[in-house]
Amino acid sequence: MTVADLTNSIISGGNDGLEGFLEGTMVAVLPVVWLLILGLHLARPYFLQMIERFTLRLGADLLWIIYVILRDFMIISGVVMSFMFFFPDVLTGNSLPITGNLAAVTLLAVLLIKQMGDPDHDLGHYRLCTYLLGLGAIFYFVPYILGVQFNAVASGSLKSVSDFLVSGSNTDWAIVIAYVSMALMGIIGVVAVVYALRTGGRPEAEEPIVSEAEGWQR
Amino acid sequence: MVATIVAFLPALWTASLILHLGRPYILRTLRRMGLRFGADIWWMTYLLLRDGVLFITLGVSLIYFQPNLVKNFDLPITGPLAALFLLLALVVRLWRRIDDDRGAYRLSTILLVIGATLYYVPLVFAIEGADQSYLAGFAEKFTSSSNSTAALVIMWVSLIGIIIVAGAVFVWAMRFANRTMRRSLPPEQPSEPESRAMGA
Repeated sequence: MTVADLTNSIISGGNDGLEGFLEGTMVAVLPVVWLLILGLHLARPYFLQMIERFTLRLGADLLWIIYVILRDFMIISGVVMSFMFFFPDVLTGNSLPITGNLAAVTLLAVLLIKQMGDPDHDLGHYRLCTYLLGLGAIFYFVPYILGVQFNAVASGSLKSVSDFLVSGSNTDWAIVIAYVSMALMGIIGVVAVVYALRTGGRPEAEEPIVSEAEGWQR
Repeated sequence: MVATIVAFLPALWTASLILHLGRPYILRTLRRMGLRFGADIWWMTYLLLRDGVLFITLGVSLIYFQPNLVKNFDLPITGPLAALFLLLALVVRLWRRIDDDRGAYRLSTILLVIGATLYYVPLVFAIEGADQSYLAGFAEKFTSSSNSTAALVIMWVSLIGIIIVAGAVFVWAMRFANRTMRRSLPPEQPSEPESRAMGA
Protein backbone atom coordinates (compact mmCIF):
# COMPACT_ATOMS: atom_id res chain seq x y z
CA MET A 1 0.00 0.00 0.00
CA THR A 2 1.40 3.39 -1.00
CA VAL A 3 1.18 6.62 0.99
CA ALA A 4 -1.37 7.93 -1.51
CA ASP A 5 -3.57 4.84 -1.03
CA LEU A 6 -3.39 5.22 2.73
CA THR A 7 -4.24 8.95 2.49
CA ASN A 8 -7.20 8.24 0.21
CA SER A 9 -8.44 5.50 2.56
CA ILE A 10 -8.24 7.82 5.57
CA ILE A 11 -10.03 10.61 3.68
CA SER A 12 -12.69 8.20 2.44
CA GLY A 13 -13.18 6.77 5.94
CA GLY A 14 -13.38 10.28 7.38
CA ASN A 15 -15.95 11.33 4.78
CA ASP A 16 -18.10 8.27 5.39
CA GLY A 17 -17.83 8.84 9.13
CA LEU A 18 -18.85 12.50 8.81
CA GLU A 19 -21.78 11.63 6.58
CA GLY A 20 -22.85 8.97 9.06
CA PHE A 21 -22.48 11.47 11.91
CA LEU A 22 -24.63 14.04 10.08
CA GLU A 23 -27.33 11.49 9.30
CA GLY A 24 -27.20 10.06 12.82
CA THR A 25 -27.56 13.53 14.31
CA MET A 26 -30.52 14.29 12.07
CA VAL A 27 -32.20 11.02 13.03
CA ALA A 28 -31.69 11.86 16.71
CA VAL A 29 -32.99 15.43 16.32
CA LEU A 30 -36.00 14.67 14.08
CA PRO A 31 -38.25 13.29 16.89
CA VAL A 32 -37.67 16.54 18.80
CA VAL A 33 -38.49 18.55 15.68
CA TRP A 34 -41.68 16.54 15.18
CA LEU A 35 -42.72 17.11 18.80
CA LEU A 36 -42.11 20.84 18.43
CA ILE A 37 -44.10 20.94 15.18
CA LEU A 38 -47.07 19.21 16.81
CA GLY A 39 -46.77 21.22 20.03
CA LEU A 40 -46.63 24.59 18.28
CA HIS A 41 -49.43 23.75 15.85
CA LEU A 42 -51.76 22.51 18.58
CA ALA A 43 -50.86 25.38 20.93
CA ARG A 44 -52.47 27.96 18.60
CA PRO A 45 -55.49 28.57 20.95
CA TYR A 46 -53.08 29.27 23.83
CA PHE A 47 -51.25 31.91 21.79
CA LEU A 48 -54.51 33.51 20.67
CA GLN A 49 -55.64 33.75 24.29
CA MET A 50 -52.32 35.34 25.23
CA ILE A 51 -52.63 37.87 22.42
CA GLU A 52 -56.04 38.97 23.67
CA ARG A 53 -54.48 39.85 27.04
CA PHE A 54 -51.91 42.25 25.59
CA THR A 55 -52.63 45.88 26.26
CA LEU A 56 -50.30 47.06 23.50
CA ARG A 57 -50.87 46.09 19.89
CA LEU A 58 -47.09 46.04 19.41
CA GLY A 59 -46.60 43.25 21.96
CA ALA A 60 -49.43 41.23 20.44
CA ASP A 61 -47.97 41.58 16.95
CA LEU A 62 -44.51 40.57 18.14
CA LEU A 63 -45.82 37.51 19.98
CA TRP A 64 -47.77 36.43 16.90
CA ILE A 65 -44.76 36.95 14.61
CA ILE A 66 -42.48 34.94 16.90
CA TYR A 67 -45.06 32.17 17.15
CA VAL A 68 -45.63 31.97 13.39
CA ILE A 69 -41.91 32.10 12.60
CA LEU A 70 -41.12 29.33 15.11
CA ARG A 71 -44.01 27.15 13.98
CA ASP A 72 -43.31 27.45 10.27
CA PHE A 73 -39.54 27.26 10.68
CA MET A 74 -39.97 23.94 12.47
CA ILE A 75 -42.10 22.56 9.63
CA ILE A 76 -39.52 23.69 7.04
CA SER A 77 -36.74 22.15 9.18
CA GLY A 78 -38.72 18.90 9.35
CA VAL A 79 -38.93 18.72 5.54
CA VAL A 80 -35.29 19.65 5.07
CA MET A 81 -34.01 17.18 7.65
CA SER A 82 -36.18 14.39 6.27
CA PHE A 83 -34.44 14.57 2.94
CA MET A 84 -32.20 11.60 3.76
CA PHE A 85 -35.31 9.38 3.74
CA PHE A 86 -35.35 9.81 -0.04
CA PHE A 87 -31.82 8.51 -0.62
CA PRO A 88 -32.00 4.78 -1.53
CA ASP A 89 -28.49 3.97 -0.25
CA VAL A 90 -29.05 5.73 3.07
CA LEU A 91 -32.36 3.89 3.54
CA THR A 92 -30.95 0.45 2.84
CA GLY A 93 -27.75 1.01 4.81
CA ASN A 94 -29.20 2.49 8.01
CA SER A 95 -31.89 1.76 10.55
CA LEU A 96 -34.47 4.42 9.75
CA PRO A 97 -38.26 4.54 10.24
CA ILE A 98 -39.65 2.87 7.12
CA THR A 99 -42.37 5.50 6.59
CA GLY A 100 -40.23 8.51 7.51
CA ASN A 101 -40.44 9.72 3.89
CA LEU A 102 -44.25 9.60 3.96
CA ALA A 103 -44.10 11.72 7.10
CA ALA A 104 -42.00 14.24 5.16
CA VAL A 105 -44.64 14.21 2.40
CA THR A 106 -47.34 15.19 4.91
CA LEU A 107 -45.15 18.08 6.11
CA LEU A 108 -44.69 19.31 2.55
CA ALA A 109 -48.46 18.97 2.00
CA VAL A 110 -49.00 21.21 5.06
CA LEU A 111 -46.64 23.78 3.53
CA LEU A 112 -48.60 23.54 0.26
CA ILE A 113 -51.85 24.26 2.12
CA LYS A 114 -50.17 27.24 3.76
CA GLN A 115 -49.02 28.46 0.35
CA MET A 116 -52.39 28.07 -1.38
CA GLY A 117 -54.83 28.44 1.50
CA ASP A 118 -55.16 30.25 4.81
CA PRO A 119 -54.96 27.84 7.77
CA ASP A 120 -54.77 30.70 10.27
CA HIS A 121 -58.22 31.97 9.32
CA ASP A 122 -59.94 29.19 7.42
CA LEU A 123 -61.21 26.43 9.71
CA GLY A 124 -61.26 23.83 6.94
CA HIS A 125 -57.64 24.50 6.03
CA TYR A 126 -56.59 24.42 9.70
CA ARG A 127 -58.32 21.08 10.20
CA LEU A 128 -56.71 19.68 7.08
CA CYS A 129 -53.28 20.77 8.34
CA THR A 130 -53.98 19.19 11.73
CA TYR A 131 -55.06 15.88 10.16
CA LEU A 132 -51.98 15.86 7.94
CA LEU A 133 -49.67 16.58 10.87
CA GLY A 134 -51.35 13.83 12.89
CA LEU A 135 -50.93 11.39 10.01
CA GLY A 136 -47.31 12.45 9.60
CA ALA A 137 -46.64 11.95 13.31
CA ILE A 138 -48.06 8.42 13.05
CA PHE A 139 -45.88 7.75 9.99
CA TYR A 140 -42.83 8.94 11.89
CA PHE A 141 -43.29 7.89 15.52
CA VAL A 142 -44.83 4.43 15.09
CA PRO A 143 -41.92 2.94 13.09
CA TYR A 144 -39.44 5.03 15.05
CA ILE A 145 -40.50 3.75 18.47
CA LEU A 146 -41.78 0.26 17.61
CA GLY A 147 -39.13 -0.32 14.95
CA VAL A 148 -35.88 1.60 15.34
CA GLN A 149 -35.92 1.96 19.14
CA PHE A 150 -37.59 -1.37 19.98
CA ASN A 151 -35.54 -3.54 17.66
CA ALA A 152 -32.86 -4.61 20.12
CA VAL A 153 -35.21 -5.71 22.90
CA ALA A 154 -38.08 -7.20 20.85
CA SER A 155 -38.43 -10.96 20.48
CA GLY A 156 -40.66 -13.44 18.66
CA SER A 157 -43.43 -12.00 16.50
CA LEU A 158 -42.79 -8.54 17.93
CA LYS A 159 -39.26 -8.76 16.56
CA SER A 160 -40.68 -9.54 13.11
CA VAL A 161 -42.98 -6.51 13.31
CA SER A 162 -40.12 -4.40 14.56
CA ASP A 163 -37.86 -5.54 11.70
CA PHE A 164 -40.60 -4.78 9.22
CA LEU A 165 -40.76 -1.16 10.40
CA VAL A 166 -37.01 -0.54 10.01
CA SER A 167 -35.69 0.44 6.56
CA GLY A 168 -32.36 -1.39 6.92
CA SER A 169 -34.00 -4.75 7.68
CA ASN A 170 -36.89 -4.40 5.21
CA THR A 171 -35.15 -2.90 2.20
CA ASP A 172 -37.69 -4.00 -0.46
CA TRP A 173 -40.58 -2.22 1.21
CA ALA A 174 -38.38 0.72 2.17
CA ILE A 175 -37.38 1.33 -1.46
CA VAL A 176 -40.96 1.00 -2.73
CA ILE A 177 -42.25 3.43 -0.09
CA ALA A 178 -39.38 5.81 -0.92
CA TYR A 179 -40.33 5.87 -4.62
CA VAL A 180 -44.02 6.38 -3.79
CA SER A 181 -43.00 9.26 -1.49
CA MET A 182 -40.76 10.74 -4.19
CA ALA A 183 -43.68 10.68 -6.63
CA LEU A 184 -45.93 12.38 -4.06
CA MET A 185 -43.25 14.97 -3.32
CA GLY A 186 -42.90 15.58 -7.05
CA ILE A 187 -46.66 16.07 -7.46
CA ILE A 188 -46.82 18.49 -4.50
CA GLY A 189 -43.78 20.34 -5.86
CA VAL A 190 -45.33 20.68 -9.33
CA VAL A 191 -48.61 21.98 -7.83
CA ALA A 192 -46.66 24.53 -5.73
CA VAL A 193 -44.63 25.72 -8.73
CA VAL A 194 -47.71 25.97 -10.98
CA TYR A 195 -49.50 28.00 -8.28
CA ALA A 196 -46.49 30.29 -7.89
CA LEU A 197 -46.23 30.80 -11.66
CA ARG A 198 -49.97 31.41 -12.01
CA THR A 199 -50.17 33.96 -9.22
CA GLY A 200 -46.72 35.49 -9.75
CA GLY A 201 -45.97 35.03 -6.05
CA ARG A 202 -49.10 36.92 -4.90
CA PRO A 203 -51.63 35.44 -2.46
CA GLU A 204 -54.37 35.45 -5.09
CA ALA A 205 -54.43 34.67 -8.77
CA GLU A 206 -53.95 37.54 -11.19
CA GLU A 207 -57.31 39.20 -11.77
CA PRO A 208 -58.37 39.51 -15.41
CA ILE A 209 -58.29 43.02 -16.82
CA VAL A 210 -61.87 44.20 -17.08
CA SER A 211 -62.88 47.00 -19.41
CA GLU A 212 -64.69 50.01 -17.96
CA ALA A 213 -67.98 49.03 -19.58
CA GLU A 214 -67.75 45.47 -18.24
CA GLY A 215 -66.88 46.82 -14.82
CA TRP A 216 -69.99 48.98 -14.70
CA GLN A 217 -72.17 46.09 -15.88
CA ARG A 218 -70.92 44.07 -12.95
CA MET B 1 -15.41 19.09 4.82
CA VAL B 2 -16.37 18.51 1.18
CA ALA B 3 -18.52 15.52 2.17
CA THR B 4 -20.27 17.60 4.82
CA ILE B 5 -20.93 20.39 2.31
CA VAL B 6 -22.25 17.93 -0.26
CA ALA B 7 -24.44 16.29 2.37
CA PHE B 8 -25.79 19.68 3.49
CA LEU B 9 -26.51 21.11 0.01
CA PRO B 10 -29.86 19.27 -0.44
CA ALA B 11 -31.04 20.95 2.75
CA LEU B 12 -30.04 24.36 1.40
CA TRP B 13 -31.67 23.76 -1.99
CA THR B 14 -34.89 22.56 -0.35
CA ALA B 15 -34.99 25.55 2.00
CA SER B 16 -34.36 27.90 -0.95
CA LEU B 17 -37.28 26.46 -2.91
CA ILE B 18 -39.66 26.41 0.04
CA LEU B 19 -38.89 30.01 0.99
CA HIS B 20 -39.17 31.24 -2.60
CA LEU B 21 -42.45 29.43 -3.29
CA GLY B 22 -43.89 30.34 0.13
CA ARG B 23 -44.16 34.02 -0.81
CA PRO B 24 -48.00 34.04 -1.11
CA TYR B 25 -48.30 32.74 2.46
CA ILE B 26 -45.88 35.38 3.75
CA LEU B 27 -47.83 38.15 2.01
CA ARG B 28 -51.15 36.80 3.28
CA THR B 29 -49.83 36.88 6.86
CA LEU B 30 -48.26 40.31 6.29
CA ARG B 31 -51.58 41.85 5.26
CA ARG B 32 -53.09 40.83 8.58
CA MET B 33 -50.48 42.64 10.69
CA GLY B 34 -52.12 45.45 12.61
CA LEU B 35 -48.99 47.56 12.88
CA ARG B 36 -46.56 48.68 10.21
CA PHE B 37 -43.72 47.80 12.62
CA GLY B 38 -44.73 44.15 12.88
CA ALA B 39 -45.26 43.91 9.14
CA ASP B 40 -41.82 45.35 8.49
CA ILE B 41 -40.14 42.87 10.90
CA TRP B 42 -42.03 39.98 9.32
CA TRP B 43 -41.11 41.01 5.76
CA MET B 44 -37.49 41.77 6.69
CA THR B 45 -37.08 38.36 8.34
CA TYR B 46 -38.53 36.67 5.26
CA LEU B 47 -36.32 38.58 2.83
CA LEU B 48 -33.16 37.98 4.86
CA LEU B 49 -33.88 34.27 5.16
CA ARG B 50 -34.96 33.80 1.53
CA ASP B 51 -32.15 35.70 -0.14
CA GLY B 52 -29.57 34.69 2.48
CA VAL B 53 -30.25 30.99 1.98
CA LEU B 54 -30.07 31.43 -1.81
CA PHE B 55 -26.77 33.24 -1.55
CA ILE B 56 -25.30 30.65 0.84
CA THR B 57 -26.44 27.86 -1.50
CA LEU B 58 -24.61 29.57 -4.36
CA GLY B 59 -21.50 30.04 -2.22
CA VAL B 60 -21.47 26.41 -1.10
CA SER B 61 -22.08 25.25 -4.70
CA LEU B 62 -18.70 26.67 -5.67
CA ILE B 63 -17.15 23.32 -4.71
CA TYR B 64 -18.50 22.09 -8.05
CA PHE B 65 -16.05 24.36 -9.84
CA GLN B 66 -12.90 22.76 -8.46
CA PRO B 67 -11.62 20.30 -11.10
CA ASN B 68 -9.74 18.06 -8.66
CA LEU B 69 -12.82 17.60 -6.48
CA VAL B 70 -15.04 17.03 -9.53
CA LYS B 71 -12.70 14.29 -10.74
CA ASN B 72 -12.04 12.57 -7.41
CA PHE B 73 -15.29 12.95 -5.45
CA ASP B 74 -18.73 11.50 -6.09
CA LEU B 75 -20.60 14.67 -7.01
CA PRO B 76 -23.76 15.17 -9.09
CA ILE B 77 -22.54 15.65 -12.65
CA THR B 78 -24.94 18.55 -13.34
CA GLY B 79 -24.17 20.31 -10.03
CA PRO B 80 -22.24 23.14 -11.78
CA LEU B 81 -25.18 23.77 -14.14
CA ALA B 82 -27.49 23.92 -11.12
CA ALA B 83 -25.20 26.56 -9.61
CA LEU B 84 -25.30 28.54 -12.89
CA PHE B 85 -29.11 28.55 -12.88
CA LEU B 86 -29.08 29.58 -9.23
CA LEU B 87 -26.82 32.52 -10.11
CA LEU B 88 -29.17 33.48 -12.95
CA ALA B 89 -32.10 33.42 -10.50
CA LEU B 90 -30.13 35.76 -8.22
CA VAL B 91 -29.28 38.03 -11.15
CA VAL B 92 -32.99 38.32 -12.01
CA ARG B 93 -33.45 39.58 -8.44
CA LEU B 94 -30.70 42.11 -8.98
CA TRP B 95 -31.84 43.46 -12.33
CA ARG B 96 -35.59 43.34 -11.89
CA ARG B 97 -37.78 43.82 -8.84
CA ILE B 98 -39.13 40.32 -8.32
CA ASP B 99 -41.26 41.44 -5.38
CA ASP B 100 -43.17 43.90 -7.58
CA ASP B 101 -42.87 42.38 -11.03
CA ARG B 102 -44.83 39.16 -11.54
CA GLY B 103 -42.90 38.34 -14.71
CA ALA B 104 -39.58 38.58 -12.87
CA TYR B 105 -40.87 36.37 -10.06
CA ARG B 106 -42.02 33.78 -12.59
CA LEU B 107 -38.67 33.88 -14.40
CA SER B 108 -36.82 33.50 -11.11
CA THR B 109 -39.08 30.56 -10.14
CA ILE B 110 -38.46 28.78 -13.46
CA LEU B 111 -34.68 29.24 -13.14
CA LEU B 112 -34.70 27.94 -9.57
CA VAL B 113 -36.81 24.90 -10.47
CA ILE B 114 -34.52 24.02 -13.40
CA GLY B 115 -31.49 24.39 -11.11
CA ALA B 116 -33.05 22.26 -8.37
CA THR B 117 -33.99 19.54 -10.87
CA LEU B 118 -30.45 19.48 -12.24
CA TYR B 119 -29.22 19.07 -8.68
CA TYR B 120 -31.74 16.64 -7.16
CA VAL B 121 -32.03 14.07 -9.96
CA PRO B 122 -28.34 13.03 -10.14
CA LEU B 123 -27.99 13.38 -6.36
CA VAL B 124 -30.86 11.05 -5.46
CA PHE B 125 -30.58 8.51 -8.29
CA ALA B 126 -26.81 8.51 -8.87
CA ILE B 127 -24.87 9.60 -5.78
CA GLU B 128 -27.28 8.29 -3.14
CA GLY B 129 -28.50 5.34 -5.23
CA ALA B 130 -25.17 3.97 -6.45
CA ASP B 131 -25.49 0.77 -4.41
CA GLN B 132 -28.81 -0.15 -6.04
CA SER B 133 -28.10 -2.58 -8.88
CA TYR B 134 -30.92 -1.26 -11.13
CA LEU B 135 -29.51 2.28 -10.87
CA ALA B 136 -25.90 1.27 -11.62
CA GLY B 137 -25.93 2.50 -15.23
CA PHE B 138 -27.52 5.82 -14.32
CA ALA B 139 -25.18 6.25 -11.36
CA GLU B 140 -22.13 5.66 -13.53
CA LYS B 141 -23.19 8.28 -16.08
CA PHE B 142 -24.31 10.95 -13.63
CA THR B 143 -21.55 10.71 -10.99
CA SER B 144 -18.63 13.07 -11.59
CA SER B 145 -15.88 10.63 -10.52
CA SER B 146 -17.06 7.77 -12.74
CA ASN B 147 -17.77 9.97 -15.79
CA SER B 148 -15.04 12.54 -15.26
CA THR B 149 -14.66 13.57 -18.92
CA ALA B 150 -18.28 14.66 -19.25
CA ALA B 151 -18.22 16.08 -15.70
CA LEU B 152 -15.23 18.29 -16.48
CA VAL B 153 -16.79 19.49 -19.76
CA ILE B 154 -20.00 20.42 -17.91
CA MET B 155 -17.92 22.12 -15.22
CA TRP B 156 -15.90 24.23 -17.68
CA VAL B 157 -18.99 25.20 -19.70
CA SER B 158 -20.78 26.20 -16.48
CA LEU B 159 -17.72 28.10 -15.30
CA ILE B 160 -17.66 30.09 -18.54
CA GLY B 161 -21.36 30.81 -18.02
CA ILE B 162 -20.69 31.93 -14.44
CA ILE B 163 -17.84 34.22 -15.59
CA ILE B 164 -20.01 35.79 -18.33
CA VAL B 165 -22.92 36.37 -15.93
CA ALA B 166 -20.60 37.69 -13.19
CA GLY B 167 -18.93 40.02 -15.73
CA ALA B 168 -22.32 41.31 -16.87
CA VAL B 169 -23.31 41.94 -13.25
CA PHE B 170 -20.03 43.80 -12.67
CA VAL B 171 -20.58 46.07 -15.70
CA TRP B 172 -24.20 46.65 -14.70
CA ALA B 173 -23.18 47.51 -11.11
CA MET B 174 -20.60 50.04 -12.37
CA ARG B 175 -23.09 51.68 -14.74
CA PHE B 176 -25.73 51.76 -12.03
CA ALA B 177 -23.30 53.38 -9.58
CA ASN B 178 -22.20 55.93 -12.19
CA ARG B 179 -25.78 56.83 -13.01
CA THR B 180 -27.11 57.11 -9.47
CA MET B 181 -24.08 58.52 -7.66
CA ARG B 182 -23.34 61.19 -10.28
CA ARG B 183 -26.92 62.38 -9.90
CA SER B 184 -26.38 62.91 -6.15
CA LEU B 185 -23.08 64.82 -6.51
CA PRO B 186 -23.19 68.66 -6.17
CA PRO B 187 -22.70 70.50 -9.49
CA GLU B 188 -19.04 71.36 -10.15
CA GLN B 189 -18.01 75.00 -9.57
CA PRO B 190 -16.03 76.62 -12.44
CA SER B 191 -12.45 76.99 -11.19
CA GLU B 192 -11.05 80.54 -11.03
CA PRO B 193 -7.88 81.46 -12.89
CA GLU B 194 -4.86 81.15 -10.60
CA SER B 195 -3.89 84.84 -10.91
CA ARG B 196 -7.33 86.01 -9.73
CA ALA B 197 -7.34 83.57 -6.88
CA MET B 198 -4.01 84.97 -5.70
CA GLY B 199 -5.55 88.46 -5.51
CA ALA B 200 -3.79 89.89 -8.47
